[in-house]
Amino acid sequence: MKKINFTPIALAIGILLSACSSMPKTTSLLDQTRSDYAIAQSNPNVARYASLEMKQAGEALNQANAAAEERDSPETIDKLAYLAKQKIALTQEVAKQKSAEASVAASSKERDQMRLDQRTNEADQANASAKQANANAQQANADAAQANANAEQSKLATQTAQNDAADSLRKQQEAQARSTQLEAQLADLAAKKTERGIVITLGDVLFGNGKASLNPEGLRTTQKLADILKQNPQRTVLIEGFTDSIGTTAYNQQLSERRATSVRTALQDLGVGRDRVAIRGYGESYPVAANDTANHRQTNRRVEIVISDATGKIAMR
Amino acid sequence: MKRNSNKWFTVLCGAAAILIAGCSTMETPATSSVAVSKAAVASASSAGGTEFAPVEMNSAREKIALANKAMADKDYTLANDLANQAQADAKLAQSKADSGKAQLAANALQDDIRVLREELARNNNK
Repeated sequence: MKKINFTPIALAIGILLSACSSMPKTTSLLDQTRSDYAIAQSNPNVARYASLEMKQAGEALNQANAAAEERDSPETIDKLAYLAKQKIALTQEVAKQKSAEASVAASSKERDQMRLDQRTNEADQANASAKQANANAQQANADAAQANANAEQSKLATQTAQNDAADSLRKQQEAQARSTQLEAQLADLAAKKTERGIVITLGDVLFGNGKASLNPEGLRTTQKLADILKQNPQRTVLIEGFTDSIGTTAYNQQLSERRATSVRTALQDLGVGRDRVAIRGYGESYPVAANDTANHRQTNRRVEIVISDATGKIAMR
Repeated sequence: MKRNSNKWFTVLCGAAAILIAGCSTMETPATSSVAVSKAAVASASSAGGTEFAPVEMNSAREKIALANKAMADKDYTLANDLANQAQADAKLAQSKADSGKAQLAANALQDDIRVLREELARNNNK
């Protein structure tokens, strides 16, 4: 009895199975969803970042697959497939989001590193310019030192110039002192200042009567003159001889020349160079007094020594 | 046979009772599904779903509207299904918005890095 009872059930199962085989086991949406799922599975980012979402999507797809397996209506299959499809899309989005966030994190690090590089760079440049500035400063220092040295040198030059000036002043003073001394010595020799220069007159009494040679008194005077000439080596002398009008003109001329010559000889003997001493005989010309009395004639008999100026020049009569 | 018929009747009655009970209890899950979907749409919208995933957002809103209609018609099964679909759409929209924003941030950073790299290259060439 029980066996008979089972027959319709078995039949029903058989009918159902055959119906099932003739019914579509899938829909286009489910196919699409399966394909999406396969794509998601092959995406490494999904496995890495969205495994939980993938699992949920897989469960949803399994439900849709089960519905297809159980020959549910296409509407039911699509309904489940739609949910699975959206979940797979969600999985993809989550994977994208997570990988973008990971990239942000990595990029942040890279950017920070680059900013650091940038700062380092700037610091290096600042350093370099500081060094340059330093070098410039040193150069400026060196220039300043050079300028100082130059200033020192010019100071030295100034000092030298001052020394030279002082020197020349001293020389001038010395020269002045010498000429003062000269004047003093000449005063001793009864020298007179004339427009031709300083003139020393050696009177007749310094010569022997009618003679050209100097007596001891005359020699002493000549000695003083020689000393003066030695102390003033730039000066020269002109020795002029004069006589009175007694005697022939030729004799007087001769006598005047001889007397002048003897003074030169005496100076030469005392060390005065011959080139510094010029002689001239004027005979009875240029009397300083009338030849009327013995006194006057004696005045006319004389030797005049003209001392040159500091350059050694003497104006001729 | 009569006994068997009785037995089948009993089974059918039970199934009907279960179905009726199931139908009557479908109201609560459908209501909660619609509510959850509405919350998901609101969340996706505030995350920028309208901007980043307009198709999914529209789909979700339309399905919520349809679900509300089904609720009004007391077709709770349909309402539940629509609400579930709307929820899936809204979640996808939110996810798209999130990933879109992350992508934008990543791109901005890449731009930053490119600019910095150029600047560095310029400075080094000075």
